[in-house]
Amino acid sequence: MKQTIGELGIELSSDSKMDLKLTRNSESFHNPNSSNYNLNSFNQAPQYFPNLSPTNFLSRAENLQQNLKTKSTNTFEPNLNSGMATQNPPLDWDPHAMLSNLSFLEQKIHEVQSLVQSIIEQQAEFSSRPSELATRQQLATADLTCIIIQLISTAGSLLPSIKNTLLSNNPALRQLVNPDFNNNLKCEGLMRNFPETAKNSEYEDLLRNLDNEADWMKEPNPPPESDIVDTNPIDEHDLKESDDGDAEREHLPPGSYIVLQLEKEEILAPHTHFCVICGKGFKRDANLRMHMRGHGDEYKTPAALAKPSKEPGSDAHPVTRYSCPFVGCKRNKEHKKFQPLKTILCVKNHYKRSHCDKSYTCSRCHAKKFSVIADLKTHEKHCGRDKWQCSCGTTFSRKDKLFGHVALFQGHTPALPMDEVKASGSGQGNDEMTEDLGGYNGNFASEECLTGMDVKGIDESRAYFSPMNFDGFGALDEFGRGGFDLEDNPFAFIPSGFGQRSGDS
Amino acid sequence: MCDITTVLSVDLLAQVLDWLHDSRDLKSCRLVSRAFLQAERMHRRAIRPLRLGPLPVLLRRYVGSLQSLDLSSCPSLDDSALSLSIPCPNNLRSVSLSRATGVTWRGLEVLVSVCPKIEAIDISHCVGFGDREAAAVAKACWLKELRIDKCLNVTDVGLAKVAVGCSRLEKLGIKWCFEISDIGIDLLVKKCLELRELDISYLKVGNESLRSIASLPKLEDLALVGCEYLDDEGLYFLSNGNCSLQSIDVSRCENVTSVGLTTLAEGQQRLRKINAGNCSPVLTSTFVSKLCTLGDTLIILKLDKLQLSASALEIVGKNCRNLFEIGLSKCNGVNDEGISWLVEGCTHLSTIDLTCCLLVTDKSLLSIAACCRGVKCLWLESCVLISEKGLDQIATCCTDLKEIDLTDCNVNDNALKCLSRCSELLVLKIGLCSGVSDIGLSFIGTNCSKLLELDLYRCTAITDDGLAAISNGCKRLKKLNLCYCNQISDTGLSHLQLEELSDLELRGMVRITSSGITAMAVGCRSLTQLDLKRCYSIDDAGMWALAQYTENLRQLTISYCTVTGLGLCHILGSLRCLQDVKMVHLSWVSIEGFELALRASCGKLKKVKLLGKLQDVLSPELLQTLQARGCRIRWVNKPLVFKG
Repeated sequence: MKQTIGELGIELSSDSKMDLKLTRNSESFHNPNSSNYNLNSFNQAPQYFPNLSPTNFLSRAENLQQNLKTKSTNTFEPNLNSGMATQNPPLDWDPHAMLSNLSFLEQKIHEVQSLVQSIIEQQAEFSSRPSELATRQQLATADLTCIIIQLISTAGSLLPSIKNTLLSNNPALRQLVNPDFNNNLKCEGLMRNFPETAKNSEYEDLLRNLDNEADWMKEPNPPPESDIVDTNPIDEHDLKESDDGDAEREHLPPGSYIVLQLEKEEILAPHTHFCVICGKGFKRDANLRMHMRGHGDEYKTPAALAKPSKEPGSDAHPVTRYSCPFVGCKRNKEHKKFQPLKTILCVKNHYKRSHCDKSYTCSRCHAKKFSVIADLKTHEKHCGRDKWQCSCGTTFSRKDKLFGHVALFQGHTPALPMDEVKASGSGQGNDEMTEDLGGYNGNFASEECLTGMDVKGIDESRAYFSPMNFDGFGALDEFGRGGFDLEDNPFAFIPSGFGQRSGDS
Repeated sequence: MCDITTVLSVDLLAQVLDWLHDSRDLKSCRLVSRAFLQAERMHRRAIRPLRLGPLPVLLRRYVGSLQSLDLSSCPSLDDSALSLSIPCPNNLRSVSLSRATGVTWRGLEVLVSVCPKIEAIDISHCVGFGDREAAAVAKACWLKELRIDKCLNVTDVGLAKVAVGCSRLEKLGIKWCFEISDIGIDLLVKKCLELRELDISYLKVGNESLRSIASLPKLEDLALVGCEYLDDEGLYFLSNGNCSLQSIDVSRCENVTSVGLTTLAEGQQRLRKINAGNCSPVLTSTFVSKLCTLGDTLIILKLDKLQLSASALEIVGKNCRNLFEIGLSKCNGVNDEGISWLVEGCTHLSTIDLTCCLLVTDKSLLSIAACCRGVKCLWLESCVLISEKGLDQIATCCTDLKEIDLTDCNVNDNALKCLSRCSELLVLKIGLCSGVSDIGLSFIGTNCSKLLELDLYRCTAITDDGLAAISNGCKRLKKLNLCYCNQISDTGLSHLQLEELSDLELRGMVRITSSGITAMAVGCRSLTQLDLKRCYSIDDAGMWALAQYTENLRQLTISYCTVTGLGLCHILGSLRCLQDVKMVHLSWVSIEGFELALRASCGKLKKVKLLGKLQDVLSPELLQTLQARGCRIRWVNKPLVFKG
């Protein structure tokens, strides 16, 4: 039984993720249909799940659906509908909807009860007709499945409501999910941010809480939410922006903070969290804690699994800043004009950028090298986009920059985009024309030799534009991946677990 | 025989020739004697050849004096022909290659390199031209005037090339170069400080461009027609700029309102021409009242399709005393009272456009006749309330009247009788006036011998006799429109013996046949445009006649005629100047016929209109070759419907 609850717990939490995801979806696409979509996927779980589930579940769900249609009669329809109506929008948790769902469940349970009862009563008859018994059994199974699904979605409807209370408490997050803004970019950012937080911290914490049968519903601010707030600033993007120079802006008086200096090996170590028993390294402490559970029951206690919270007195601690271990570096504490680094990540990036080999080479231009892989990725996004070229050879990534340059310097002109040469060069009649003209007119010895120009033009244009196209696709891919991350991860989990279980039962 | 040149020396003769503008007069002059021919040769500064064939000879003859060469009407002009035809040492200052779609940047480079003194180039309407062509032109560093209108592929880069290469530019037209943006305009303004005239009509540029343009110190003339992204803010920049604008055209700028115009009028006190037609429909009185500050300088004011009350026109009349031209076409609210206020003040008005001012009656015409005796052009299309009474007064008082448009005004023969007193009349449009008959035309024919243009569109009462009267009286006619005058037959056409007629529209004249066309072609040798659409009875014989007699034919419409493949091949093959053919629904022509005919004319044609179904059956090579030679094909999908 405990096992079942645990598994149910998994279902619940993952389902909650689905809910959350759907919520975001309906927010980010300002589409009148999205709420419908949301609604359908929400309550008619059997219809929604098959899309993402393994085939055994799919067939089962279809079966179930049929059963629902044939057996469960009108009495259930209104209930279902009222549930659908009230649960939308899902951010507002409606106790009425919950109640109606529960009563639906109750009804359903009664029904299964009576079904099983009837099977018991008619056991004698069934012995002569085994096929009928099988049918009844199937019906009971289907009903149970339906109940489970309904239970999951009912319980799931609670999660965003908790989420919502948190959001309303946190101004930054509230702004992030403010349904008023239409800006797609922001939505993208939101969607990109979300999976990580959901995947890494929130999910684990939820899981943990459920595992420990903690009464998480009563907690107004359960740990996962504070986690979200915390993890956001340590996002990789932010790190790059809050680069090395943060302390400069701070102007902390020397001595008002503690200076820590990590060793080179520490800085360059790929993992920062190590298992004290087996020595396995992890990038995240949460993962380490999950790992620790395997080492014995003492690591499974709530206290051991809980995120090491900041001690109440932690704020009183003096501000900590970091020094670069490279002697002579401005970031080294021995330096006369020492400028401390703000976080460990700043130290890492600074050390790699300034004192390490640049081992990552851009695969497009083969010229630019980087020591921080994120820098390479940033560069690759823009590499090959310098298509705006001046007659002096300087290239620019933006047209207005080129034109500003041309305006400044006497005699400079924008170079012609190469695709045009290509277009005119590849024309059918043009080659003939060139020959014709070359035949009787010497005046063509103008600056740009005709044939030479063509060849060069085509080659160059290839060099110019293929990376750009590539880049475009890359960007698309990336975006697509982002979307998949979001959808895949929370969902991939549910059907498999569910499918297996229902297969077992 | 005494040589006239002993008394009339060549330079004196050249001075006489300065006063001759008509090509026919010059031609007669050339024929006088060898000396006259020599004088004419030395005097000639510009030529506009119709065919390429004689061009090298012509250019060799005029090479010393020739300054301006217009190749816009030459068919089959391509790079090789262009580089061949221009002699190497020359004094050419101006070359027009408008619509020379067969030329590419290579040809332009040759042109620029062999004409070191070139100052003006026109490559407008070469729709395929782009940055490379612009770059070729930009090598002419002495260029003062450049037109690249509708070179659709020219982008900011091409414009930048021109701006950097031709920094002495004074006049630039980049109308319809949709790819050009604010950035390009900004660079242009920084590099070409000599710009005096700039046409950026229909560009998708914003107010930032006007902010840049406003800094041009010498800008006088700015055309911004149909720039939908400009609004009042842009005009505000202009009004505070360095330039002292003399002429501004903001017509069809949807987002320009009277507020912007008011600030412009406040800031630019030397404005002489304002075209604010089709802006935003409501014109507040503030703008009109601001016009009074421009007062004496304003000479041209166009307010088409704006809301104008009588009092607004009164303000204009009281303040803009020197107004020379006013456009009030489609202005709601323009009535007799307003017109009388206007003309009372603006007595120098020469051109008055009252097209579609539905409230205008004879009273307006009476006040115009009373106040503006010098009126030359009067456009009254769809002013249905006017009658011969008003026109009589106009004809009596405004003896200098040269153009009048009475399309759809329901005028009758009496009105024409009155108008025929205007012996200076050059343009007369009486389309859709079914009341006009042969009697009316006979008055015109007798008295208006200078007439150049006559529009008789759907004057259904006209018969052969009326046409005879016109062709006997108006021998200088250049344009004649007889569309849907379906009472006219071959007899009428045979009267058309107009040597100067260049433009003839005979659309929907169902009674004419090939014999009529033959008679007309013999009489009107200088025809360049002919429309025979829906002349169902015209067959191959007509085509033969046209091919034989009207050598200069450039545009031809023969849709719905009963021409066969043979006739089509013959006419397309033999007419050397033909550039634009519309041949939709030639049901008697087979696919092979079209194929052969198009092959026969390949290289000359710049525009072809064909039935869409042919797109799949004509050979792809043919279509490719046509397009490679600069021919644009328009595919039409219309059902074949015969209309009487």
